[in-house]
Amino acid sequence: MGEYKIIKPGRKRFKSIVCKVVLVILGRAFQVISEKDNEIADEIAAWPEGFKLELNVLPFGPRLILHKKNGRVKAKGFDDKTPDLSVNFKNVDSAFLILTPLMGVPRGFAEHRFTVIGDVAKAMSFVRCLNLILAYLYPDFLCKNLMRRIPHIKFTKRMTTRLYFYTIGLITGF
Amino acid sequence: MLPSYYEFYNPVKIISGSKALENVAYELGLLNAKRPLVITDKGVEKAGLMDVFMNSFKSSDVEIGPVFSDVPPDSSNATVNKIAKIYNEYKCDSLIAVGGGSPIDTAKGVNILVTENSDDLAEFEGADRLTHPLKPFVVIPTTAGTGSETTLVAVIYNEEKKVKMEFISGYLLPDLAVLDPRMTETMPAKITAATGMDALTHAVEAYTCLQKNPVSDAYAFSAIKLIRANLLKAVKDGKDKAARLSMANAATMSGISFSNSMVGGVHALGHSTGAVAKVPHGVAMSVFLPHGLEYNFEKIKDSLAELLLPFSGPDVYSATPAEKRAEKLIEDIREFQKELKDAAGLPYTLKDAGVTEDMFGKIAMGAVDDGALMMNPEEMSHDDAMKILKKAF
Repeated sequence: MGEYKIIKPGRKRFKSIVCKVVLVILGRAFQVISEKDNEIADEIAAWPEGFKLELNVLPFGPRLILHKKNGRVKAKGFDDKTPDLSVNFKNVDSAFLILTPLMGVPRGFAEHRFTVIGDVAKAMSFVRCLNLILAYLYPDFLCKNLMRRIPHIKFTKRMTTRLYFYTIGLITGF
Repeated sequence: MLPSYYEFYNPVKIISGSKALENVAYELGLLNAKRPLVITDKGVEKAGLMDVFMNSFKSSDVEIGPVFSDVPPDSSNATVNKIAKIYNEYKCDSLIAVGGGSPIDTAKGVNILVTENSDDLAEFEGADRLTHPLKPFVVIPTTAGTGSETTLVAVIYNEEKKVKMEFISGYLLPDLAVLDPRMTETMPAKITAATGMDALTHAVEAYTCLQKNPVSDAYAFSAIKLIRANLLKAVKDGKDKAARLSMANAATMSGISFSNSMVGGVHALGHSTGAVAKVPHGVAMSVFLPHGLEYNFEKIKDSLAELLLPFSGPDVYSATPAEKRAEKLIEDIREFQKELKDAAGLPYTLKDAGVTEDMFGKIAMGAVDDGALMMNPEEMSHDDAMKILKKAF
């Protein structure tokens, strides 16, 4: 039998680590900013109690689970129950593009970088929340490449929330 | 300009034209299908189309049936379960759907259950939940609009949870689509107009929304040209076989196009208007199309300008200054709508379609939660949707 090269599966560790860090920050941002923005709070209020949403990088993770409990969103890295809504990035390269953030959600969806399993209406609600969160986290020059229209948030509200999140919220989760 | 990345998939064999139905028996042989279950509805049966279908097998060696002809207009998981049982009872090995969107979507649901040997469709709801090929599946459309014969989506109502379940998978695509002009010639003028405008909206949105790619563009471009040249003819003279066949082809091409470049805001508004005000899908598409294009205008004007060529023809295209072509297209679409209103009574406004202003809030809420909005070039909030609804009223 001749010798033929076998391509073995592997991992892109750098990209995986970056994705994991961004997912942790995003989870914390959801947890903290959803308490401070009325529009996000209204969206989350419409999610059923116990609702679980997962952002997952196929095939090995990392993953982020947003769990609505007692009316609040709690972020965690794993859960043994099937989520109500799954957003699965097809591979770590696709996740890296969207999470770093080199590509916005609409473009990522158009390019089949991830799939959605579950109630589409909830996915749309999640994207509206995500746009608001990203507008708090990033300056306009980054946001305009990520979304079709930057949500209107008062300048002072946006800056104070951003300052609070990066100095206190990110570390404490509150 | 090419998108940085795109995907395109369409494995459906299309047979189109005179006596296409007579070739179905041969095609079933190629699919190794010996006993197909036929799924249709009462409307198709009443229109005499099942007789045409049955007669086409008179010189074949294939035994067709059983025939299930009780598919309701909005099919549910209960209907799908019932048909799946019949399929197993009669030891069928393939499926033939004869009809419009409802029998086709029902057959897609049945195909999931009989292949997966399950009785719970909900297990397979969502995108890419199916992991292997389904049973041989032939679709014979009797309307020219939905494009379901070449789409990878099925929508089926869940009676227990009272929600519409959406199934998206490349495996849902039929093996064969049969376009025979005899199968659409009994369609009434108003339905012909509405379903034709549905096909036009599929093609225009596929060409202008975020997922557009060069292959889907090619299908959309050709579909638009056929629709403009043939829809009015088919409306005015249902027996015009050439016009009917052209419209069937246009609908199929639009289906291929929007299966690979998802529709946007016009469909989001149309789905919600259908759910709240029971406006037929094609009617809603017709009413919203020019308004949706105006809403997205700044982001899609280059694509719209290109579409003036297939829609209005080379003379109008070359006589219109480049910077005016996008506006001219919308103007010509409006003119076309008026012609269809005069010829078939197709509603031109939401008011004509029976929508009342008190429904706007609910329609706008449904529209912003609709997945199609994800691919709309412009962001659309609840307030934006309300403004479009007021304009379309």
